[in-house]
Amino acid sequence: MISANFDALKAGDTIDGPAFAVSRESIRLFCDASLDYNPLHLDDDYMKGDFGKTNFGGIIMHGMNNFGLISRMLTDWALPAGAIHRRLETRWLKPVKPGDTIRPGGTIKAKQTTAKSRWVLVDVAVQNQRGETVAAGEAMLEFPAS
Amino acid sequence: MAQAESSAATPFETDFWKDAKLRKMWDDIVPGEPRKTLPYKLTQEAIALYCRAVGETNPLYLDEAAAKAGPYGGLIAPPAIHILLMFACTPADDWMRSPGTVNAGQSWSYNIPARPGDTITLQARALDKFIKRERLFVVHDNVFFNQHGDVICSGRGQTIRPM
Repeated sequence: MISANFDALKAGDTIDGPAFAVSRESIRLFCDASLDYNPLHLDDDYMKGDFGKTNFGGIIMHGMNNFGLISRMLTDWALPAGAIHRRLETRWLKPVKPGDTIRPGGTIKAKQTTAKSRWVLVDVAVQNQRGETVAAGEAMLEFPAS
Repeated sequence: MAQAESSAATPFETDFWKDAKLRKMWDDIVPGEPRKTLPYKLTQEAIALYCRAVGETNPLYLDEAAAKAGPYGGLIAPPAIHILLMFACTPADDWMRSPGTVNAGQSWSYNIPARPGDTITLQARALDKFIKRERLFVVHDNVFFNQHGDVICSGRGQTIRPM
């Protein structure tokens, strides 16, 4: 994993995130922490039904749990270098279920210097234990001009 | 139906089926119309609970002495605390809480951190709605402010509405 040094960073450098074990308990804890008690995350009977065109077959993790893990990876990487997590865009590609282990990662895409600051663009993704990408997106980190 | 409940004094309703019939369906949602929101006092306990749920351990969020010596001069919340703020500032009869609402993606921009003790307000609306592959989508437009009127973060999201 590359350290957060603006001048040294180049496209293709990678950032590693933490592994996260998903369980019924972790999903329930996320309900309490986010106040999102949508039955998608709580109610197995409800989840036997169809959602428009989709059937999940059981409870699923909050999509925003992916978002929170990516955000954690970015801030833990950037903060020690004085860099600031400014933007994160994500979309969910596959549902995550109890028993899965997921891990976020990042790849430096580009650097940009503007009139007053310096920016790093990062492609981010979350993969499950089968190597499937469950969430993807991009982030923007600011490295204030020194 | 308990319509006269004081939102400030009422504990958070965790049964999302309650009031389900009061909530707007996709057909009723008017893009551009501001949503009713509630101010929310962010506590250190709520921040710590969020941190536990995603495994955040940074002392800036959790260790008052270390945070005081750090770049923000005190404890802050992690950027993604808007995940909590979104529901904390949303009344029980709001359509965002409709059971079966599926989050289809989000983008957020961060200005300044939220801090424990902040009173957070939300300005929110549906900005757009559309149909794609037989699914009913709404585009959400959200901005969180602190008690000084400073923008904390702003976000856009898409949800698929239950049919």
